Formats: sequence, structure tokens, C-alpha cells
Amino acid sequence: MKFANLIFRNIFRNKLRAFMTLLLLAAIFFLVATLLAINAAFERNDTGGTGDRLVTQSAFSLANMLPFAYEEKIRRVPGVVDTAKTQWIGGYYKDTRNNVALMAIDPNKVESVFPDYKIPPAELAAFEADRTGAIVSQELAKRWGWKIGDRITIKRQIFPFDPQLTVRAIHHHPVQKSAIWLQMPYFQESIGNFGRSDMIWLKVAKTDDMPRISQEIDALFKNSNDPTETYTEKEFTRQFVSMMGNVKVLFMSVSISSIAMIVLLAAITMSMSARERVTEVAVLKAIGFQPRLILTLMLTEFASLTLLGGLIGIGGAVLFYQSVDAGAATQGLLENFRIDPQTTTICVVLAALVGIIAGGLPSIRASRLTVVDGLRRVV
Amino acid sequence: MDTLVTIDNIRKVYKRDAFEVPVLNGISLEVERGDFLALMGPSGSGKTTLLNLIAGIDRPTSGRIVVDGKEISKFNETALATWRARHIGFIFQMYNLIPVLTALENVELPLLLTKFSKKERRERARTALNIVDLGDRVGHYPRQLSGGQEQRVAIARAIVTDPSILVADEPTGDLDAKNAEETLELLRRLNEEFEKTIVMVTHDPKAALRAKRTLHLEKGLLAEGQYGHAVEEVAG
Repeated sequence: MKFANLIFRNIFRNKLRAFMTLLLLAAIFFLVATLLAINAAFERNDTGGTGDRLVTQSAFSLANMLPFAYEEKIRRVPGVVDTAKTQWIGGYYKDTRNNVALMAIDPNKVESVFPDYKIPPAELAAFEADRTGAIVSQELAKRWGWKIGDRITIKRQIFPFDPQLTVRAIHHHPVQKSAIWLQMPYFQESIGNFGRSDMIWLKVAKTDDMPRISQEIDALFKNSNDPTETYTEKEFTRQFVSMMGNVKVLFMSVSISSIAMIVLLAAITMSMSARERVTEVAVLKAIGFQPRLILTLMLTEFASLTLLGGLIGIGGAVLFYQSVDAGAATQGLLENFRIDPQTTTICVVLAALVGIIAGGLPSIRASRLTVVDGLRRVV
Repeated sequence: MDTLVTIDNIRKVYKRDAFEVPVLNGISLEVERGDFLALMGPSGSGKTTLLNLIAGIDRPTSGRIVVDGKEISKFNETALATWRARHIGFIFQMYNLIPVLTALENVELPLLLTKFSKKERRERARTALNIVDLGDRVGHYPRQLSGGQEQRVAIARAIVTDPSILVADEPTGDLDAKNAEETLELLRRLNEEFEKTIVMVTHDPKAALRAKRTLHLEKGLLAEGQYGHAVEEVAG
């Protein structure tokens, strides 16, 4: 602690350089924290599901729809409590930037298969009774001022169909904050009674039975024209995310490149700082500072600098994503986005490591400098 | 008076690439406790190298150096650093203060290696600054001080640990005549009033006059007394 003053003064000996270095470190760690948090969010696959749901889709792709007839066969598999056909429709409200997760569902299956959407019974009944009714999320209702009874039109994205809906219910799902449900019959009639949907959700009695049920369902349709694959809700979300390409690898690459860049930049700054102080280091050694103490002081100084810059960037990211609705900004891609404690810890450790790695060589050189050489270099 | 420094047949050879450059060629000398010794000689004569060896910041190629009963020529780097912290006070030509620290903090610096409390360190640093008559400049940074004041802060830093020997390498080399005079007077006071043993390298015959004894080095060899006449002539 008695060397804290010396370390602090040395960090800010060139105020402009220290400020610019901190600014650069903060910006880089803001970016790294964001990228790592996005990766963590994808990894988490936090759908807020109930854990007792499976989803069956085409073995070929989500674009291949399954015949409605599959639902009845699936329901008969032992352990299946109930099923619900759903269809991803997608769309946007008024402006293409206002994407919503629009889905069709069997209206009488919302409560039994998707209880986690937490819909007041009276509103759910109103939805079931209205062929063009919609269940909208509390967040969307708040964002666009929707109230029960409002008429809204969602613009098409995939199908030649602009649903004109009446808000009949508001759901309070903890994660699916841009989800809108409409009735499957309304969707089917609007596109010509296709008789197919892209997903069949099923609720199971015991979660331990999920692997068996998945295998049995897929075995049922193995030799048909529409073979299936059945996943848990978590696996399904992971598959869905992977459709965007290998985002994780991309983000990790950018994160690693950013860290490598900041290590190099910090190394340049720290080398300059160490070189400017050759005589001072020699004087410190002359008056009795041991090489190990010099090394410790310099490494502490450099690690403190990068740690401080990192903390500013990471803290800034935490506050920024607390105050910004990332879900709205990313059209629902990053719902509930936050810099979690694990990401924060990783970034803080990285920030300190950047200082130690970047400052390592100049610190070692300084600690090995002989007093005579150090004094001779400038004097 | 007893002997504080004994230098016995010291040789120092620097290696420059494939070449060996002899700097000191078998020097022997003794410095008494309380002495004020001036080392003079032309550039390259080896006077700074000799000073560095006495101060324990360089090691001889051969020979023996004993300071206050300890054969420091046998010490390793770590032991030498610990020894320097307790026994040597450095005064440099360019003052070499830490620019980001105040005068008080600069003087306190060597005490950071001791077990003194912060309060004790500060008290001792203030006392040292008072001795060099800079008690009113404790909060000033080096850039806010004149050259002479900077050198006095450096002297305060050198004496704050109450070392056995003060080594001064051209302490007036970067000062004007007035400040040089003040610095030399201060060194004389430290030697006479505080009984500090001082070994000083200088080019300046006037500076050498302040010393009790002057040794002249020429091509790595000692020529005691040779320069004394010249010094006296300048003084006269």
C-alpha cells in the first residue's frame, strides 16, 4: 500500500496519454463485453420455457411444414399430455424496423401447452372467441400503446397475408417479449387452408421420458414423405439461432481480435512509458529498490491502467444495456439482453491480463536494467 | 579516525562487443570515516567507475572492496540493493528526482524501503528538507523548483536514511556558480556538522577545494596529491 501513491502518480504522469489510453481501453472492453454477452445470451438459449415441452419439426428444415394429421399421431404417444400446432409467420408493425415474432396457434391450446405466457383467463377466453383475435406481449403493448380491443395490422414477411387483428389478450411471458399469437384457423383460411404447420409442440407428463418420446415420434414418421425431428425447447432454440450462421464463432473472432489489438496498443504505450523512465528506474534501483520490486510496481501500474480502462468500459456496458431496450433495438433478437456477472468477471480478468501481458516485457526489461546502464543512457 | 572504505587492487574491465576496455587498472585506496574526498581526472579516467564501485552499483572485475567492515565486492545484486538502501546516499549531476512526486515524496522515497510508519517517514523527510533549507517547498514538484533547489532536494533524499557514505557524481555540474556554491557549502556542512563521509567526483577545481582530500585519476590509475597543487593554485 505504501507504494500506491507512486503507482498512481506514474499511471497519470502523462495525463493526455493516460486519458486516451483509458478511453481506448474502455471502448474496446465495451465492445468485448457486448460481444461476449451476446454469445452468452445465445449460449444460454433462455427461452423461459417450462422445461416439459418438446417440439417436432420437419427433418429437412423449418421451411418444410408438417401435415396436421401428425398432431393426432403424436398425441397418442405414451407420455404426451397435450399438443399444439404452431406456425411462424413473422412480420412488422407499420415500419420494417418494428419486427414482431408473429405466430399462429391452435387457440384452445394456449393455456394447456403454453401456460408460461401467463394470460388472464378472461382475456384468453376473449382470444379464443375471436377468429382475428391476438395475444400481444405486455412490452409490445406498452411500446406501441396497444390496448385490449385495439385493431392492429401486421405487415407480411413470409406469407402473402397481412393479418388484421384485434388485441384480445396481453401475455406476460418473461422472455418472449416480442411475441404475438393469432389463431391458426385465421391463418389457414387466409393462405388457402394449406393443412400444414411448421411446428407441433407437445407437453409431456415426465421430463425423464423426453428422450424416449422424441425417439418414438421421429420413428413414427421415419419412412414417410415428411420425416420429423423432435427436440427439447432448448435444443430447438439453439438450432434456430444457428440458422443465422455461426454467429458465435464470428463474435468470438471479433472479441479475440479486439483483445489482441488492445494488447498490442497497450504494449506500445507501456513500452513508451517504461522507456521514458529508464533513468528513474535506475535511480530507484540505486537507492535500494530490488529488481523484483521494480517488476511488481511496473506490472501493478500497467495492470491497474488496463483494469481501470476495462472497468470503465465494462461498467459503461452494464449501465448502457440496463438503460437501453436491446430487444427493441435489435427487433427482438436480443430480448432480455444484459451483461451478466460471468461476462463481467471474464472481462475484468481479461482487462488485468492485458496489462500484465502488454506490460510484461517493458517491466522485465526495466527490472533487469543495471543502475550504471540506466544512468548512462540519459545522463 | 577509522577506515570506512578499503579498496584493494581493484580492476574494472568493460566488454564492448568483442573488445575489452580496461577502465581501472589495480587501484588501492582507503577512505576514513568523516572524510570528504574529491575524485578528479579527465573524461574516461575512471573516476565515475570508481565512485560506482564504492557505491555498490557496479562490481569490480577483480579486487576487493570493503565498506564499513563488509566486503561488498562479494555481494550479489539483491544483497547489494539492500546494502545500498542502508549505507549509501546518492547525489547525481542531473538531480534525478521523480517528476511526478513532490519534494517531500521524493525525499520520502528511500524510506519506503524501511519499516517506518507513514507518519515517521514524513517527519524524517521534513527534517531532511529543513536541513537543506527547503522546509517551505515540501509540496512543490521538481518542475516548480530551480536547479539549485532540485539538487538540494536530491541531497535531502540522499541523507534521509542517514547513510554511511554520500556519493556525489558531479553535483555542481549542471548548476550556475551561485547554486554550485550553495550546494558545495551544503556538502561541507554535512561533512563537518553531521560528520557525513562524502566521496565526490568533480571536474571543477573549485568544488574539489571544498573536499578535505583530492585524488586524481589518469588512465585508470591513481595519482594522489598530483592535483592538490593545481587545486590550491585555483583557490589562491
